[in-house]
Amino acid sequence: MTRVLSWLLSALAIGAFGFLLCVFLFQSGPVWQSEGTRYITGVSWFYRQHVFGALSLIYGSLAVTAVALLLAGPLGLGAAVFLSEYLPQKARLALKIPLELLAGIPSVVFGLLGIALLRDWVYRTFAKFDPLSGDTLLTAGILLAVMILPTMVSLFDDALRSVSGAQRRAARALGLTRAETIWNIVLPQASRGIASAFLLSVGRALGETVAVFLVIGRQDNNLPHPWYSPAPLLEAGQTLTTKLGGAETNIAFGDPLHWAAIMGLGVLLLVLTAGATCLGTLGRRRHA
Amino acid sequence: MRRGLDIVMGCVAGGCLLACLTISTGLVWSIARRGWGALSFSFFTEQIALVGASGGIFWNLVGTTVLLSTAFLACAPLAVSLALMERVWLRSESMKKALRLGLYTANGLPSIVFGLFGFLVFVQWCGWGKSWLAGGLVLAMSMLPTVTLVVLERMAAIPQRYIAAATGLGLSQSQVAWAVLLKQSWGGLISGSLLGLARAAGETAPIMFTATIFAGVTFPKGVVENPVLTLPYHIFILAQDSFAAGVETKMWGTALVLLGLVFSMSVAALPSRLYLHEESDV
Repeated sequence: MTRVLSWLLSALAIGAFGFLLCVFLFQSGPVWQSEGTRYITGVSWFYRQHVFGALSLIYGSLAVTAVALLLAGPLGLGAAVFLSEYLPQKARLALKIPLELLAGIPSVVFGLLGIALLRDWVYRTFAKFDPLSGDTLLTAGILLAVMILPTMVSLFDDALRSVSGAQRRAARALGLTRAETIWNIVLPQASRGIASAFLLSVGRALGETVAVFLVIGRQDNNLPHPWYSPAPLLEAGQTLTTKLGGAETNIAFGDPLHWAAIMGLGVLLLVLTAGATCLGTLGRRRHA
Repeated sequence: MRRGLDIVMGCVAGGCLLACLTISTGLVWSIARRGWGALSFSFFTEQIALVGASGGIFWNLVGTTVLLSTAFLACAPLAVSLALMERVWLRSESMKKALRLGLYTANGLPSIVFGLFGFLVFVQWCGWGKSWLAGGLVLAMSMLPTVTLVVLERMAAIPQRYIAAATGLGLSQSQVAWAVLLKQSWGGLISGSLLGLARAAGETAPIMFTATIFAGVTFPKGVVENPVLTLPYHIFILAQDSFAAGVETKMWGTALVLLGLVFSMSVAALPSRLYLHEESDV
């Protein structure tokens, strides 16, 4: 009885997730047929003309994520090093509690803070580049950095803690200072765990919707010319998630091709986040 | 020279941690400062009025509670079954591994994906329209991996000799599952669910297409076309559209209430989380 029940319920749960994957793949079918690879490489998205190129959305997602990780990564790693290598056990636990709590602040609240505090700050600080408003890719990236910072510190801390204490003691006994122990023993040995933590954060950042939605400006077709130009960072943009979260999802439902294009964005998002999370998890587990 | 570098390193790392904590607590402080003025007894007991500029958030609290209860009821049996599957019923090591990897990966899926799925399947195909049940089920799906993983961790931490003793007494596998595994891990189900619900309570993306509107409904009376009001969507709409002074105070008040709700659930789940995530001493 128990056995049958848990098989049935597990099948239901796994079936639901499998169904989710199938729904996204099959529903996005028409757009892959109609646009082919142009769906990913195409630079313009005009749904009234049935032109669907998702490149600017992919660019938006990657740019925002890159800004967030470049800002939060070093700061988070530094904080995790202090947390795991310098603080005594009790203080470390005491500080992990607020970090865990802060990691749980809802994203809509972050969006609100972004609107109230960050938007104007970006507009004033970068005034000499003449941005049209404070709603830019950069604003979204900074907000996202603040948002994933506690999570990153926690993940980095876990990675550093998985290096055994005996290694540290041996290094100190050989006369290395604490800083030398960290640089030469702890960080190299934890490098794999740190990379995993980084990938997990990438997955988290790519999938964030609401906070980014509120401060990014949601302007389609914003791409850099030439490709390495940083100029679009100070313009309004759009990411995969903000496109999906916008009103266009409701509009699209009546039109099979437009709907397929929207579901296609879901597929791209799934591939990117699941890829990052999966790799991150594998690295973390083999390391531990 | 070496001594100096050592000190510099400590200062830089300490500075990083200080910066992290200052930024984060600063944010919480700035929400509390702006929202405190809105909190009063009537804020919790009145319904929304004047497009959010007046009245309270009573039905938003009710709606969020409805969604969370539904999500919990739908999620808990599935999470327990999946965990039992991994611990008891699945024999092959590679299947177990695949299940765990699947759970970790599903845990990282963006919530908007679940929202789109719910929009298509429940709202359109099932014809429910925006409905509390659609939202509850979507939230259940989004929190299922988290809850399962916590239950699983807790089950894995049960000493092997308990299971051996139960088996030695002649208990069948399902009796072991009930008498040992479930009995010893129900705390994991509670703290895992609290953790999942804390995240679900603040989610906007999965419910904005499936379950929630801004104003005009009270308690749901059926399934089809029965949306609810929720705290996160209230903030989401006010944040985009409104600059009136009265609205601003109410909006920050709502954010403060949501934050309080999320924090209290996370605090309740904390002890077991910290206990499980601690590695051996340094």
